[in-house]
This record gives sequence, structure tokens and C-alpha cells, in this order.
Amino acid sequence: MRKILLLVTLLLTFFNLFAFSATADSSYVLPYPSSMPGSSFYKLGLLKEYILKYWYFGDFGQFTYNLKESDRYLVEAKTLFEYKQYLLAYQSLRKSNQYFKNTAPYLLKAKEHGKDIKDKSIILKEAGRKHLQVLNILKSELPSEFTWTPEKDSSQSLEISRLLKASIDLREKYEKVNF
Amino acid sequence: MKKLIFSLYFLFLVFFDWFSYLFVDPNISYLKSIYTGYYLTNRGEVASIYSLLVVIFFIFFFYFLKLVKNKNLSLKEIIFLIAFSSLILLFSYPAMLSYDIFNYIATAKVAFFYGENPYLVMPIEFGNEPILAFMQAANKTALYGPFWILLTGIPFFLGFSNFIATLFSFKIFVSSFYVLTCFLSYKLSKDRFTLVLIGLNPLILIESLISSHNDIVMMFFALLSVYFLLRNGKVKSYLFLFFSFLIKFATFFLLPVFLVFKKIKDRQKFLFLFLSMFAIFLLSNFREIYPWYAIWFLVFAFLTPKNKIILWVSLAFSFSLLFRYIPFMYFGTHFGNTPLIKTSVSFFFPFATLIYLFFAKRLNR
Repeated sequence: MRKILLLVTLLLTFFNLFAFSATADSSYVLPYPSSMPGSSFYKLGLLKEYILKYWYFGDFGQFTYNLKESDRYLVEAKTLFEYKQYLLAYQSLRKSNQYFKNTAPYLLKAKEHGKDIKDKSIILKEAGRKHLQVLNILKSELPSEFTWTPEKDSSQSLEISRLLKASIDLREKYEKVNF
Repeated sequence: MKKLIFSLYFLFLVFFDWFSYLFVDPNISYLKSIYTGYYLTNRGEVASIYSLLVVIFFIFFFYFLKLVKNKNLSLKEIIFLIAFSSLILLFSYPAMLSYDIFNYIATAKVAFFYGENPYLVMPIEFGNEPILAFMQAANKTALYGPFWILLTGIPFFLGFSNFIATLFSFKIFVSSFYVLTCFLSYKLSKDRFTLVLIGLNPLILIESLISSHNDIVMMFFALLSVYFLLRNGKVKSYLFLFFSFLIKFATFFLLPVFLVFKKIKDRQKFLFLFLSMFAIFLLSNFREIYPWYAIWFLVFAFLTPKNKIILWVSLAFSFSLLFRYIPFMYFGTHFGNTPLIKTSVSFFFPFATLIYLFFAKRLNR
């Protein structure tokens, strides 16, 4: 009986250690990858993205919408890069950046309108940190440049490292903003 | 004698108004000067007084029913009673039994003052919002339909950003729908007895005029749709039914009855409408039955007062559901024995009434 108790205690301690290390980086959670370009569901997703732009009205609404879309496109870019779909990944990351860029202005607008933005600015900074984690991993794994040659079109040079640097700079810039 | 009873009734309503202010929340800074905290320190007394008031309310109600049954109450007198009841209870404290009015105001503020989508943004997200100190569903997005949110723009703007003015503006707004419902029920029934059953029913009065629940607004649009359905105005009828379930989704369950409405015998039409709303009322027990949910079926039940079982069971529910508030008033908690007592008091009288009616019928044979 003693042995069993000791074993259970040891196991619980062991799992607890893992639980600690799992939450150490950032509490912000990125979404699961959704449907990818090429799938018919992806087109529906684009329609949803367009409709939601109007559903998420208001400063807080637009802030949430832009951050959500930025997260979604970042995860999409990461997945596509992993599958070496560089052109699509490149485009997704650009979209993620554009959406991320839109977040802070809406937060500042909310502040101008007398809304308390303390919690939202923390969320934005947490999100930025999480994005930076992903972007830094991508930076270490991806080639700095890639020439994409489609079957029936002219080739295209993708300056991946430059885009990644711009993405990182944007997140770092927002992390320093004092809301 | 009648005049004396009327005067006593109005005095009683004034007392009810005064009693409601014993429940002022300590966190409402706007009403700090009248806060007593009495309900927190004298739970037993408050619960006893409330029970007594409900009983007296019903004694008056049955007296008025008796008068109208004996053709001793004219339409003018009923209108006078309804009008004065509305006017007096308009001044009561609305969060005596439920804090829903604060949710209505907070949701309207999210939509019309902050310009945010209340289905996405919760009131709690506005950290400096004073209403957060006393509202109870700050961490929830809008609970009601979009038509209700749109309608609340009217009382919200009429409050001119003043909390007390907004609070009473909401009360006036909901009360006006109570008056309209009374008017429409008389138009549908042409029966003074029905008008008294709906217009002077203590549960409907308390939940619509004191607590200002939007259920009466939903039921007004449902009745309006029935009104047009009976007059073959199909488009208007479905449009108002649509408006009704865009306030609170309960009246969606009238739709199946609407679809077969023509096939139902004339004298059974209201019975079917009652049954569908009664079914959804009972189904809400899976979550929790709130006293104001009874308005959903009471309105249709009283439009068919010839059915004795429906009439008496509905009256029993009107009475018993008002006692659901007592366990919380007394214990100050929603846990422990409170849920069991609440369920018991809600169903005891209706069951007892049903059993009585069953045996009375057998004995009469």
C-alpha cells in the first residue's frame, strides 16, 4: 500500500512539473488551424471573414475581430510554411500582419471614446508575445528567400526573412506602445 | 363599499411601492440616501411581510374577479383600476425581486452608448462602468433577441444619460406594453372577466410593473400576431410573431400552432396557443422556472376562461410562483435547501388545485 501511495505521489508531482513548464511561456492561446487554401471550406471561411467584419462593430469589436483574424492567419501561415507552401504561407503572413496592424488603432480609438482599455491592452501584448514565439521559430527554420515557380506562370521571388523581420518588428513595436 | 375597497387597494399598492424600496442594493450609489439594508438584516420579517402582501394582493384580485363575475364592475372601473395600478406601481423599486432591469439597461448602454455589439462585448469589459457595481450578469453577452435590444434604444435615449431617469424610463416603457396587452386582450375577448384576469393579476402586475420584465413586451407582440391571424392578416401576423420571438425566443413555439391555426376549431384556438406556451414554460424547468415565465401562458389561459381546469391551474401558478422568491429572501442564498423549497412551492398549489378539481368533478357526478 505504501509503495502504491509513493508511486501515485511521485506520478502526480511529475505531471505537475510538466503542467508548470507548459504554461511558462505565454497564457495566450492561438487557435487551431482552420481549413487551408484550396479547400472549398476555405472560400466559405473568406465569406465568413467578410461578414464578421460588420458583425464585430465598435472599437472593442473591431479590435477583437482584427486580433482574431491576425491569429488565424498566423496559424495558417505557420502550417503552410511547414508544408512548404511558401507562396500561400507568405500571403497568409502578410494578411496576419495587416490585421495585427489594425488592432492598436482601434484600442486607441476606444480610449479616446472613454472606454477602459487596460484588459484589452494586456491581451494585445500577450498576443504579440505569442506571435513573436511563433515568428522566431519560423525565422530559425525557413530559408531567407525562396523562388516560387508555379506550373503555368512566371516565377516569383519571396523574401521570407524580410517579411518575417517586418512581422517581428510590428509585434515588438506594439509591445512597447504605452496604451 | 366598492369605493372603499378601491381606496384600500390603491393604499395597498402605495405600501407595496414603499416596501419595494427596502430592497435597494447597497452598491447603487444613486440611491444611497434611501438605502436601509433592512432586507439584509431582517430576512425573516421581510419574507413574512412579502408573503402577507402577496396574499392580500390575491384577496383584492379575487374580490375584483367576483365583482366582475356578478356584473358589478364596469369597464370604466376596470380601466380606472388598471390605469391607477400602473401609475402607482411605476414608482416602485424595480430590482426588488429581480435584477433583470439592470441587464436591460447595461445591454442598451453597450449597444447605444459604447457603440459595441452586445452579442460580443460584455458589460464587464467596460471597467469604469458604474452599473457593474450592482448588476448581476455583467459577465454575459446579450441574453435577449435583437428586436428587444433595438426597442430598448427608446427608453435608453429618453433617460438622457441619467441613471435614475433611465431606470424609470425603462419602467414606463415596459408598463406601456402592459397597458397595450390589456387593451389587446379585451379587444380579442370582448370580455371584462378576461380583462380583470390579465390586467389585475398580481403576478402579471408584479413582474411587468414592478420588475419590468420584457416578457410582457414579447407577449404583446404575440397577441398582436394572434389578433391579425384571426382577421386573416397573415403577413402582419407572421411579422409580429417574428418580432415577438426576436424579443425573447419563447414565442417561437407558437409557430406550429400558427401553421395549423385554420384547421383548429374556433373555440380551441386559444387552448392550443395556451398549451404550446405552457409546454415551453414547463420545459424551462430544466434550467429554472422564473415566476415571470408564467406570463407566457397566463395571457392565453385567461383568454379561454371557460375552461375551468386551465383557469384554476393558471391562477394557482400565479399565486404559487410569487412564493418562489421567499426562500432566497429568507435564507439569502440560492444554494442549500433553497432550490428544493422553490420547486416545491411552485408546484404545490397547482397540483393541489388539479387534485381538488379532479375530485370535485367526480363528486359532482
